[in-house]
Amino acid sequence: MNTVRGDFRRDLEIRRYPLLVYAMTPLAALVLQAWLPRFLAGYAWFDLPLVVTIYFALVQRIPIQGTLMGAVMGLFEDALTGHAIGVNGIAKTVVGFLASSVGIRIDVDNHTIRLGLTFLLSLLSSAIYVGVYRVLLGLKLEWSWVIELIKCVANTLIALVLFPFLDRLQIRD
Amino acid sequence: MESFFIRYRNVLVLLTLLVAQIVGLAVQVRRTSSGRNSLDPQDGPGVRLIRLWANAVVSPPERLIHQAKIGTATLWSQYIDLRHTQQDNQELQKTIDRLRLEQASLLEDAKQGQRLQALLNFQEKYIYKTVVAQAIGSSGSDQSRVFTIDKGSNYGMKPDMAVITADGIVGKVREVFPSTSQVLAINDQSSGAGVILETTRIRGILRGNAIGQPQIVGILADQRIQPGEKVLTAGGDLIFPRGLPVGVVEKIVRDPEPERDGFIDVIVKPAAHLDRLDEVLVITATESRFSPQQQQDLATSEALKGPEAAAIEEQKKASAIMAERLPGLIDPNLPQDQQPLLDSTNPNPVGRPPQAVHPDRFTPGGVNQAATGSGNPAASDSDKKTSTPSDSATPTKPATPQKKPQP
Repeated sequence: MNTVRGDFRRDLEIRRYPLLVYAMTPLAALVLQAWLPRFLAGYAWFDLPLVVTIYFALVQRIPIQGTLMGAVMGLFEDALTGHAIGVNGIAKTVVGFLASSVGIRIDVDNHTIRLGLTFLLSLLSSAIYVGVYRVLLGLKLEWSWVIELIKCVANTLIALVLFPFLDRLQIRD
Repeated sequence: MESFFIRYRNVLVLLTLLVAQIVGLAVQVRRTSSGRNSLDPQDGPGVRLIRLWANAVVSPPERLIHQAKIGTATLWSQYIDLRHTQQDNQELQKTIDRLRLEQASLLEDAKQGQRLQALLNFQEKYIYKTVVAQAIGSSGSDQSRVFTIDKGSNYGMKPDMAVITADGIVGKVREVFPSTSQVLAINDQSSGAGVILETTRIRGILRGNAIGQPQIVGILADQRIQPGEKVLTAGGDLIFPRGLPVGVVEKIVRDPEPERDGFIDVIVKPAAHLDRLDEVLVITATESRFSPQQQQDLATSEALKGPEAAAIEEQKKASAIMAERLPGLIDPNLPQDQQPLLDSTNPNPVGRPPQAVHPDRFTPGGVNQAATGSGNPAASDSDKKTSTPSDSATPTKPATPQKKPQP
């Protein structure tokens, strides 16, 4: 794992994207996340907003941006459910912060590392979600580790396709 | 001090956001009288505002995608793929005729029921007005069975209105926005609908489990509950009118909570296709009287009842006469609907005898048949007709019995 000085990497390798990509990618992720499950008949075991949050947090390497993006995506996801607003928000806020912080310290151009991080951060997001719901709020929530693991694998597979596609949209000097 | 904020700004932003969200969550949860925490069913203004923003962002693209899909499907089904339309129309017309007769026969029962309810001072609620809505999106979470419909307060939607399909109940309106609404499906973990088992008359509360199956929770174990039993709405929740189909019992499982020994959960297979909803009906009004449309339908049925019922009665009589003339194919010990001729599930149906390799004068339908030999051609024709009674419903003249030759 390549480790270099944070400030140097940040100055050297912050990626920039057209404004349209910043605006449309999270929106498309939210819309598709709400629309696709209607055709997958209850087997929508993926989290597109989470994958997009991880991607932008990793490549931007600015923790405040990653944290804010995670919070907004999570809150919007919560708002579309009938559940309490803030559960997904907390999970994705933490994920956005960690992904940005890790992005400063490791070589996120390595595709394998990015996929591994996506899997681990998905797992962390699920754990925070269940923890907040059951422990912090004391609400009843039935859940299955198997489904959570499947969701993490599905997120990783989506990242396998989505990350190279988004890489191609960056502004190159 | 300034350097502290600059140095730890990332962590401070993280902590601020986390604390704000935790405080927001605490506001949304309340403790019930049973000592358990539950979500406040009424969203506060702040929560409602966030839901409104999210809906305003996500709904327009969803609506656009949905309308594009509907447009393509309409173009295909109404202008290109028109095979079997004529046949479908004829079958639908037959179904309408049959349903009109059934409705007319139920009309008397309904009127009598209304009279009895009036005597008992009990007001049964009928579905008076509905609004058709399209499902355009979902919650996007496998933990939440909420979906979005394309009608909101502009169309008279209000929270807690029942949402149904022709097959059965779907859920209730949870949140209403100007042009869209959120519907909480019956298979969500936070939903609740009063239901009753049709045969055993056991009542319970229906809600979803982790994998999205609706289940009747926390009822006392009862041997009489069997898979396949119908589940209907009980009407006690003041959301769903009484008697709407919910589904059928799929299986019975023990209550997972160890302290509730002796209780069971009944998994229900929903009547409505909850995972593939396109069009739903929102019940916007219930009344203790029939709607004008229903009254018009009933009047039509009443008017058509006489001649159509007479025609069907004639057909039944003809069939009965025909059946009486086929003594070898009718078992007098069996009821009418279980006769071998009428039983489509019979693995060994009564059919024509196989063709004889060397026909003689006793072979049925042969040229040297005994009846023909007796110089009675009418008897031969009659035999042919009576061998396939289902081909015609009109009575035929019985064949003259053949006398055995005296030795």
